[in-house]
Amino acid sequence: MYNAVVNELIGSLGLIKPELALLVTFVVVIIADLIFKNNKVNLGLSILGTIVSGIFLIGMSGTNTSAFANLIAVDPFSEFFKYLILISTLIVLVMSEFSEELHNRDVWMGEYYMLVLGMALGMFLLAGATNLIMIYLALETMSMSSYILSGYTKEIKRSSEASLKYVIFGSLSSGIMIYGMSILFGMTGSLDLYAIQSYLAANGFFQPAIFISGLMVIAGFAYKISAVPFHFWTPDVYEGSPITITAYLSVASKAAGFAVLVRFIKLTFFDAAGSSDESWIMMNSIPWDMVLAVLAVATMTLGNIVALWQSNVKRMLAYSSIAHAGYLLMGIVVMTNTGLMSILVYFFFYLLMNFGAFIVVMLFAHKIGSEEMDDYEGIGYQAPVLASLLTLFLVSLTGLPPTAGFIGKLVLFGAVLDSGWYWLAVIGVLNSVVSLYYYAKVVRNMWLRKVDNGKGTLKFSIQSQALVMVLGIPTLVFGLFFGPIMRWAEHSVRIFLGN
Amino acid sequence: MLIDYSVVLVYLIVGVLFVAAGIVTAALIRPSRPNPRKNSTYESGEEPIGSPWIQFNNRFYIIALAFIIFDVELVMLFPWATAFKEIGWFAFWGMIVFAFILALGLAYDWAKGLLDWEKPNPQIPSLDELVITREQYLDELKKKEQTGN
Amino acid sequence: MHQLIYLVPLLPLIGFVTLGLWGKKIKNETLIGSIASTTVGISFIITLLIFFELLSGGNTHIVKLFNWISVGNFNIDWAYQVDQLSITFALFITGVGFLIHVYSIGYMHGDRSFYRFFSYLNLFIFMMLNLVLADNYLLTFLGWEGVGLASYLLIGFWYDSKFPGVRITWTGDAGMKAFVVNRIGDFGFLVGMFLILITFNTLNYNEVFDIASSNYISYANTGIITAITLMIFLGCTGKSAQLPLAVWLPDAMAGPTSVSALIHAATMVTAGIFLVARNSVLFSLSETTMSVVVVVGALTAIIAASIGLVQNDIKKVLAYSTVSQLGFMFVALGVGAYYIAIFHVITHAFFKGLLFLGSGSVIHGMHGEQDIKRMGGLKKYMPVTAKTFLIGTMAIAGIPFFSGFMSKDEILWYAWSSHHGGGWLVWLVLAVAAMFTAFYMFRLYYLTFEGKERFDHHHVHPHESPKTVTFALITLAVLSTIGGLMNIPPALTPWLHSDPLLKSWLKPIFANANMVMGEHAHHGVEIMMYVLMALATVVAFGMWALAKKWYSDAAWSTPRKLAKNYQPVYKLLLNKYWLDELYYASIIDPIQKLSTSFLWKFTDIGIIDGIVNGSAKSVELLGNRIRLIQNGIVQNYAIVMIAGIVGVIAWIMFL
Repeated sequence: MYNAVVNELIGSLGLIKPELALLVTFVVVIIADLIFKNNKVNLGLSILGTIVSGIFLIGMSGTNTSAFANLIAVDPFSEFFKYLILISTLIVLVMSEFSEELHNRDVWMGEYYMLVLGMALGMFLLAGATNLIMIYLALETMSMSSYILSGYTKEIKRSSEASLKYVIFGSLSSGIMIYGMSILFGMTGSLDLYAIQSYLAANGFFQPAIFISGLMVIAGFAYKISAVPFHFWTPDVYEGSPITITAYLSVASKAAGFAVLVRFIKLTFFDAAGSSDESWIMMNSIPWDMVLAVLAVATMTLGNIVALWQSNVKRMLAYSSIAHAGYLLMGIVVMTNTGLMSILVYFFFYLLMNFGAFIVVMLFAHKIGSEEMDDYEGIGYQAPVLASLLTLFLVSLTGLPPTAGFIGKLVLFGAVLDSGWYWLAVIGVLNSVVSLYYYAKVVRNMWLRKVDNGKGTLKFSIQSQALVMVLGIPTLVFGLFFGPIMRWAEHSVRIFLGN
Repeated sequence: MLIDYSVVLVYLIVGVLFVAAGIVTAALIRPSRPNPRKNSTYESGEEPIGSPWIQFNNRFYIIALAFIIFDVELVMLFPWATAFKEIGWFAFWGMIVFAFILALGLAYDWAKGLLDWEKPNPQIPSLDELVITREQYLDELKKKEQTGN
Repeated sequence: MHQLIYLVPLLPLIGFVTLGLWGKKIKNETLIGSIASTTVGISFIITLLIFFELLSGGNTHIVKLFNWISVGNFNIDWAYQVDQLSITFALFITGVGFLIHVYSIGYMHGDRSFYRFFSYLNLFIFMMLNLVLADNYLLTFLGWEGVGLASYLLIGFWYDSKFPGVRITWTGDAGMKAFVVNRIGDFGFLVGMFLILITFNTLNYNEVFDIASSNYISYANTGIITAITLMIFLGCTGKSAQLPLAVWLPDAMAGPTSVSALIHAATMVTAGIFLVARNSVLFSLSETTMSVVVVVGALTAIIAASIGLVQNDIKKVLAYSTVSQLGFMFVALGVGAYYIAIFHVITHAFFKGLLFLGSGSVIHGMHGEQDIKRMGGLKKYMPVTAKTFLIGTMAIAGIPFFSGFMSKDEILWYAWSSHHGGGWLVWLVLAVAAMFTAFYMFRLYYLTFEGKERFDHHHVHPHESPKTVTFALITLAVLSTIGGLMNIPPALTPWLHSDPLLKSWLKPIFANANMVMGEHAHHGVEIMMYVLMALATVVAFGMWALAKKWYSDAAWSTPRKLAKNYQPVYKLLLNKYWLDELYYASIIDPIQKLSTSFLWKFTDIGIIDGIVNGSAKSVELLGNRIRLIQNGIVQNYAIVMIAGIVGVIAWIMFL
């Protein structure tokens, strides 16, 4: 009996090579930290490990199967998200080099790199998890690392506050999620998402317990992606954490959360046999689309409206990321493959613009010592290159052509309109309009206020500017030539649906 | 469908009633004659000194954390041990990897000096803004009210 | 040869660009004038050659230059149509244009912006040629707008000169008035174009006319055709200064006389006639529109003529006479006698051009004086001008065998006899108008050139104009005399049983229209023709005699007595029926008041700005309220989260 299981396990090891690479890097970094006690070595090893993991990932493209007896699925969908997470990790590792916040305070960076790698590992597993326990484990791995990372600069009061709030809120949400999972397990008799789906298909009537437990599990995911009303930790945590971690959380953590949310909903609650690619059939007459639509609308609206009043750029970007989560939720609401594809496309562009914005804000914050919008006045003339790049990123976040953000919104709204959710699209567009205000406020402050500032130009290192350019140029280019990304996303929408 | 959960509701109500009945009746029946001696905190017969709200030394927490981790590792070891014979070498190497990672964590703790009870260079925790006690805060508040208004 | 048609508009365009960009640097006036005149002159020669090619049996051609607009199914080429109508117009546009260019070299001598004048003139010729040569509505419209622009630029050429008029102080105001009134007409043309595009799916002339004529039975008298043609006619009333849009032409006299001659006599104002002629098929399909054209044309003819009776400015008289003659042409179009209208266009270009150039010569010689009451006896000082002016007057009055007689007589005949809207009433109105025309033209002549000299001899020394001016005058006088030979009325040549020259030349153009109207090939010669002709001749000579008698008398006592006795009538005519004032009071001022008080203050500032600012403000306030939810207390966060979950559960369960 055991031999079969063992053989399967050994065979599956080959399927998780990227994760194994990350794990090995993690261990190596710990050992290296103990032996060499040199931060540069740690950084180099982390980057190396990430790249090796990426190479493995490229080598595995096209696989569409499940590993470890339905514990993880290795399919194009999870592969897309793994690429996103890897790119984010790389950017964060490089960004940390330029972060004076982290280097000024005699903070030991060894654990930082370990934790980032650990978080990446957790996100990799989360993107592919198809078992309730696996989901929980991966989520917790990810969350634990991020709790510590958000409070990494513990001397800053804000940072500790952020970390503590994150922990408390995160534990609460994990508690709710695991409770929901337990009820689900109790009702259906299995932890495997595929088995749950067959049970639900067999008993097609509406069971309140299934709905409630499903909702509680989704609440846990919603907390990760900062959907309203589970978003309360976002502004405090984003504002308090070191800005590299804020950027990482806002992109990679959200990506992993979305991956698992989509997978959970699609695998558990949708009729695999009956659905076609373009219209998924919901089982048990649970109106998930309405629930998610309400969530999406609340998220967008609250994110945008409250962002109007923010005077701190980081906090404003936090609220803006809540709003973007709202837009992304719209893509799931439509329950078609086109909707999913639009989410993937949007995420890719969102990665570019969000990271870009955060990096520039970080660089400015170190030079002028403040993250307040009012202190950005006239900075356009002191640092023209970075200010124009920030303008580009903010314009892209609003969704104006010819930037990538526009294409993302175009595809997303297109998918929503195609499926007939007109009112949702209208709300989405109105929200985009509102978002223009707070993005433009920053731009206005940078270029149209205190034009003759009197203060000299700010110098930034060539590497940091290069990093921002690496993000900025694709934002512009993909606004015009977005074909490859669309094709990649279309190809990746295939989620492994079980045997 | 929903009617099946009526049992839960009845249980809930009875449970709450049960407890509430006991507490309320007791509160109504018993006499209430407090005195300072009765109201003070119980500390195993000793005279309580100072506020019970002190800052715990987090060395306790670190030790407890390490303990929990290795305790859970032990729990993992038991089922492994029972199935070890049938699985063979794969089980062996698997557990070696698992134990190695955990041992690495322990080594990390040890090397970074987290397991030392007495820290050689104790670092008094400091924050950008000093934390003040509640009495000091209330004093400052009273001063502000007198001078500000 | 016809492939070279593209040169015909291209050369004036080159002239415009060259003189516009570098004209200021060229200091030699003769050079500037020569450049401008040469471009038009060569265009004329090429047009002439193409004309001969066409005359000797050549086919009509479409010469495509390039594809202009191509959007979806909508395709417009920049192409020129070489056919009888367009070449005819091109001929007299370039020909008369050339003469006026030469004239202007002498007339504008010493002007400080000499080069600018000629560049504008070339621009005008380019646009006008595009208008007539185009093979589709859109290109015509381009030319249509372009001539409006050139007209505006040229009317206000002396932009710092004052010019008295109703609510007009500067010449620029007069130019603006011309442009705005033209715009109203342009609106009509545009709507007509849109309707054509919807109905026929194409804007190409040949395609539209093919569809219309092959399905003419189903299109005849339908609402859509009437609408199209009425809208196009609205455009024509704007460009050709018919009622109700006639008010701009008299004020356009603010510009230099060459401009008045070229644009407001010979060419631009005939663009309306051209358009109706071009669209003859469509107009023939709608009897309503034809009737409207006749009524408008006739009314304009007589009203303008009556105003001209009492005007004292030499150019104003000629302006009203132009409006009146255009009315004649529209009546001819309206009764279906298309080729006659074209004939009158050509002869009118000759004699009106001559008259205007002559008046310019007079003004130039009188150092800017334009009031005929202060002239008189100029025959002695400007013999060439006086003789040529007399010839022009005889032509316009309809003295037999001059060009004007030939064309006007035919118009009167068709007004009487046509089955499509003709009749004795139309004839009577036109006859009265012709009577007035003869009278006031001779009045003008006698007051200016004969009789007592009423000008101040110490300050004014009239002299004959230079050779460049007189050359143009003489050429046009010759043309005014013999121009009628191109289309001799059948009544005068009863032995010939073929059509007059122009009629047969233009026959292919109007063949479709004639088919639709059911015209017969030959009317033959009727007695009534002779009767009417004799009547008109008698009237013309009679008016000549009357004018001579009244105005040769030094004090012109009879007219003065008439004016005093019939004071209200005199005032009405002198103030041109207060038409301008009427427009201002009834349309323009109310609209402006409405715009300022209601639309601007209330709607724009109050409502629209209010809505926009208000919505932004409300979002802002909403944000201010909502952001207070985030208060930093984790317990609150937890409560809201749980409440959210419970809320969703309750909503779905009890939906």
